[in-house]
Amino acid sequence: MFYLVIGGSGSGKSAYAEELMMGFSDVEKKYYLATMQVFDEEGKKKIERHRKLRQGKGFETIEGPRAISLSAEKMGQGSAVLLECMSNLVANEMFGDGRICSGEVVTEKILADVMELKKRVKHLVIVSNNVFEDGITYDVATMEYIRVLGRINQALLLEADTAVEVVVGLPVFLKGGKKVCGC
Amino acid sequence: MELYIGGYAQGKLDYVRNKYKEREWRILDGQNAGIDIMAEMETVVDKKGSESILFYHFHLWVKKLLAEGKNPEQLTEIFLEKYPGCVILADEVGNGIVPMEAQEREYRERLGRILISLAAKAERVERVICGMGQRLK
Repeated sequence: MFYLVIGGSGSGKSAYAEELMMGFSDVEKKYYLATMQVFDEEGKKKIERHRKLRQGKGFETIEGPRAISLSAEKMGQGSAVLLECMSNLVANEMFGDGRICSGEVVTEKILADVMELKKRVKHLVIVSNNVFEDGITYDVATMEYIRVLGRINQALLLEADTAVEVVVGLPVFLKGGKKVCGC
Repeated sequence: MELYIGGYAQGKLDYVRNKYKEREWRILDGQNAGIDIMAEMETVVDKKGSESILFYHFHLWVKKLLAEGKNPEQLTEIFLEKYPGCVILADEVGNGIVPMEAQEREYRERLGRILISLAAKAERVERVICGMGQRLK
């Protein structure tokens, strides 16, 4: 099964995604595919907080800031994986080399990688970020980044069995689950 | 009138197009700063056919009017009188840090209030996220 979990910062989307993972009793192994690259103290703290949240839950962490299809090769068919977070992955793929990669190329690459990952494992949970509602016009590269993340989220929802927005820690189902919407 | 709101790049236009595949849309685009929507309106006359009128980037039109010192509330009313069956698409712009610039704050406040009044009048309101519609009304 493929789950898409979206939410704003501090919405509780990570905790919700981990809860989903905890519910999978039919898998041999659970992976946490971490896409965030650490550059400073703040990043370290954030990762520490997330590590603590995951402690004792039996996840094996795999760092996959880019090219996640390579990380997928390490995972067996009977496993579940939590990819967190799509917004970091898109940023890393777009701006990672110190140059800007075209949005179209990045969109295609990431979606192909996700499909690869989805084929390999039993359950895939992808966490993504709602960065679309502040009305700010950023610089050209950032606007392109936001559009790419928006396109990827839309494509992921189409593929997902269940898509959910987390608001104050509560799930609002967009697809599958307890249907409260979708017209 | 129907109102579709949602964040930037969430697929609102595609969503509406997919929903009403049979309609041949007459799109008025608020992003096109060179176009005067009110003058543009004069070229579209048939009131009965107003459900084919799609007002895209409505929020940017409001922003432009405010920058020009015009009254978007009043002009929105005039628009609705002319096209009571239209479909309006607007970005959600209020879920962020309150901006430092007074003009930006004014824009969010005024747009928010206009959208509330549109939602109150609308026969259908949906929020689009990740290309999926959530019916609010």
